[in-house]
Order: sequence, then C-alpha cells, then structure tokens
Amino acid sequence: MRLNKRKIIDRLMLGIISALAIASAIPIFAIAVNVYSEGARYISLNFLIDLPPPPVGGGGGGIGPALVGTLVLVALALAIGGSIGFFTGLYLSEFSHTRLAQYTQMFLQVMVEFPTIIVGLFAYMILVAPLKRFNALAGAIALSIVIIPYIALNVREAYKSIPYTLKEAAFSLGVSAPIAYLRILLSAARRGVLTALLIGLAKAAGETAPLLLTILGTTFTYFGGLDQPINAIPLLIYNFALSPYEKWHQVAWGAAAVLLTIILVIFIVSRLIIKEVKV
Amino acid sequence: MNSEKIFPIFLIVFASISLLIVTSIVISLIINSYPIFLRDGFSFIFKSVWNPVKEDYGILPALLGTLISSAIAISIAMPLAISLAIFSAEIAPTSIRGFINSVSDLMASLPSVIYGLWGLYVLAPILNQYIMTPLHQYLGFIPLFSTKPIPTNLFTAGVLLAIMITPFSSSIIREAYNAIPHHLKEAAYSLGMTRWEVIRTLLGYIKSAILAGAFLALGRAMGETVAVAMVVGNTFTLPRSLFDMGYTISSLIANQFPNAEAYSYMMPALYSGALVLFTIGLIINLAGLYWIRRVVTRG
Repeated sequence: MRLNKRKIIDRLMLGIISALAIASAIPIFAIAVNVYSEGARYISLNFLIDLPPPPVGGGGGGIGPALVGTLVLVALALAIGGSIGFFTGLYLSEFSHTRLAQYTQMFLQVMVEFPTIIVGLFAYMILVAPLKRFNALAGAIALSIVIIPYIALNVREAYKSIPYTLKEAAFSLGVSAPIAYLRILLSAARRGVLTALLIGLAKAAGETAPLLLTILGTTFTYFGGLDQPINAIPLLIYNFALSPYEKWHQVAWGAAAVLLTIILVIFIVSRLIIKEVKV
Repeated sequence: MNSEKIFPIFLIVFASISLLIVTSIVISLIINSYPIFLRDGFSFIFKSVWNPVKEDYGILPALLGTLISSAIAISIAMPLAISLAIFSAEIAPTSIRGFINSVSDLMASLPSVIYGLWGLYVLAPILNQYIMTPLHQYLGFIPLFSTKPIPTNLFTAGVLLAIMITPFSSSIIREAYNAIPHHLKEAAYSLGMTRWEVIRTLLGYIKSAILAGAFLALGRAMGETVAVAMVVGNTFTLPRSLFDMGYTISSLIANQFPNAEAYSYMMPALYSGALVLFTIGLIINLAGLYWIRRVVTRG
C-alpha cells in the first residue's frame, strides 16, 4: 500500500513536470505559426526593396529603408563590437590570471544583463545630443556596446578550449605572439569564434530598445549618411505595430517574418558549426 | 621581438575598453540625473506624478509597474523553467533531448520585438478573453483582480515576460542538473527511490543554480523594454490591481524620451529612472552571479 502511494505520486509529479515543460515550449511554435501565417504572404522581392506604403491608400509597399538600415547598422556593429569583443576575449583567455582580466570578466558578465535601453541613453548622450540629430552612427555604437560582452565571453571560451599542448606547439615554432594567436591558434578556435560572431550578429539584428533613442527611424528615406537618421527592421516593427493603421500592421507582420527568418538562419548555421566541432 | 611586447599591451587596451564603457555609462547616468536629484532629492522616486507642464516628475508608478510585472513573470516562469530543465535532462527520450534544448535556446535568442508583436496581437486578446475576464468576473472582489481588464495591462506584460525568460532560466538549471556527478544519481536510485524522489533530491543539490536562474531571469525581466512597452498599456497611474494598465521604468523611458528634449527636467527624470533601474538590476544580477559562482566552485 505504501509503495503504491509512492508510485502514484511519482506518476503524478512526472506528468505535471512533462505538462509544464511542454506548455513552456508552446509559445515558440505559436509565434512561428502566427508570424508566418500573418506575415509570409507579404514577402516578395518588392517587399524587401520598396518604400513602406502610405498609411492609407496606395500599394502594398515594403521595408526597403529598414532593411538597408539594418544591414548598415549590423555591419558597423559587427566591425566595431566584433573586434573589441574578439581581442577582449583573447585577453581574457590568455591572461586570465591578471587582475584586469578578472575585473573585465566581471564587468562583461554584468554588461550582458544590462537593460539595453540604458545603452541607448548612453549613446544618445555621447553621439546624438552633441550632433543635435538622431544618427546612424549612434545606433551602430549602441549595438556594438550591446554585443561586445556576448562576443568577448564566447571568444574567451573558444580560446580556452584549445588544448594546452596545441598552444605549446604553436609557440614552439618560434613565431611571434600575434602570429601564434591570430594565424595558428585562430584556426583551432575558428568555430567557437565564428559562433561568437554569429551570436553577436543575431543580437545586433534583433535589438530594438537602444535604437529608439539613437536612430529615430525614418520611414520614407533610404540610407543618407552615418550622421543622418536611419531605420532598422526591429524599429519598423515596433513603430508600425503601435501605429493606428491597419496597413502598417500588415507591414509589421511581414517585417517580423523577414526578421524571424534572418534569426532562424543564423541560429541554424551556428548549430551546424557546433555540431561539426563535436564530430 | 618588438611585437612580443606590443601584443599584450594591444590586448590590454581592448580589455580596458569594456571597463571604460561600463564606467562611463554609470557616470553618464549619474551626471544626467543629477539635476533632478538636486532639485527634488530622493522624494522623486516615491512620488506619483508626471506633469511636464509644471516640470513635476515622480517615477513611483513606473517603479511599481516594473516590480509587479517582473514578480508576475518570475512566479510563472520558475515552475516552467524547472520543469523544462528536468524534462530535457531526465524525462524526455534521449533522442529528442537535443531538439528540446535547441528549441529552448532559439526561444532565448528570439528578438524581443517579435515577442512584443505577438504579445500585442495574439497573446493579449487570448489572455483577456480566457483568463483575465473570467478572473475579474468571478474573483473580482479580490483587490488583485478588481479592475475590469482590457487586453494590454501589467498582467499581460508579466505573462509575456514569463514566456521570454523561461528558456533562459531553464538553460542555467539544465546545465547544473546535467553536471551533477553520476554516482550521486546512482546512489539515489540504489536506495530504492522512485524517479520523482530522485529528481527532488537532486533539485536540492542544485539549489544555488535554481536561485541563480531565478535572479538572472528576474534581472532580465526588469530590464526588458520593447516587448513590455508594446503590451503594458503605457498609462501613468498608480496600479491598484494586476489588470491595471501601467508603465515600467524602461517602457516609460522608451515612450517619453521623444518628448523629453522639450522640457528642462524630463530628461534628468528619465535618466534617474534609468539609474534606479540600473541599481536594482545590478544588485539582482550580482546576487545571481554570486549563486552561479557557488555552483561552479562546488562542482
């Protein structure tokens, strides 16, 4: 009888846990289904390059300016944040015993959890207020700051995972430190480094909050220079979804389908890279 | 020879940049919020008023909104996160564990604006019709449910946040669970324990990881901006029930910032809101990192 009661509780608890686990995964499938069923029908080549439609009347329109803006911002953020993050990560891995490395690591872990809107406020202060104009550069800098800790911490892991014997072998060749780290050992850590950059890429492509305070979001102009306002896909989704116009809601869903596809592609590529490394 | 000496210095410069950025962000928050603290002192945090015409600001409703929505989020998210972690580490067939973890990681990396869009147009109406309206109808005498709900409010924001932070928190717990030494699990089974009894015992073993997962997820929920701004209602009143439209500090910044230039004290008010948010978040995240360190050092 006692055993029976324990068995019933066992079954019951395992059932509850499984049900809760499955429930927690439902939203991602619901989101994918909703985004593609609402948004996929608007996607076409024209949708990717056209200007958004006027709020009322006119044709279907597109997200051209926002797509251009996202490409510009992400490229800049990856160039700036990627290089700072990479060399910071390399330092953290190879000089981990130093006090600077320990502090930097702690600061980076705090930075990962920073509310990104605060980064936007910072970029506004240093780049928007002095120029008296919302501008693309401020957005790119804000995104760089957001992705630095992700890239640095992952690059650190990548270099840390190189076997010590391999490092010794690299240095025993008698090459200089930059060549050992950036030519020989980079090829051993390349998958980890690539994954780090992809994580940064996905983060930069999807981040919205700091852009609200830095690039403003133009609607009907493409790229006009780094000192000019610019738009981005996540910002367009935010602005259009909250607008009162049905037509702009449709564009927001279409843009969400584009963004979700970008994120999915990055995610799958990074998974394939990780898988390859295990084989 | 020369590059041997320059290279470490080169790396040190880069590593210092992050320190410099964090320090300047903190300093910039302090400098920019200084005027309002100078004028109003700390009373600014505990006042409920947002009157740009009279230049009178207090962020209490937004602060409460942040606390309420993230409290809802964490209380929904933790049971789900723990279940998801156990399910993928212990219960699910081995062949689909990788898939479950991938789905969970994908959820954690989805842009918050997509959550916001979905929350606004799909989740909010569903919650309103099937959960909030019935709760209000039948349990409306309880103050928590006393407001007649409309789809966007603090409760919706809390539920959306819960969905967003569950996978993140779950991955921390899952990693700790998988790192439990195998002989402990075997020992537990050899005592004749049922699976649930083993799970319960092992969960006790990774308590600090669960705490870390909770704190770090709470920190994320408090700082989230865009998704919350889309579903929280953006109304500046002191919340009286879970179904009130409200503000959080970050959504207040996102919404009011475009107007701030036109007034002399609104910008400082928003920056000091950010400073308050940063301080609370920092304490919570440091607590989370402390617990995670305990997991690492013990294992």
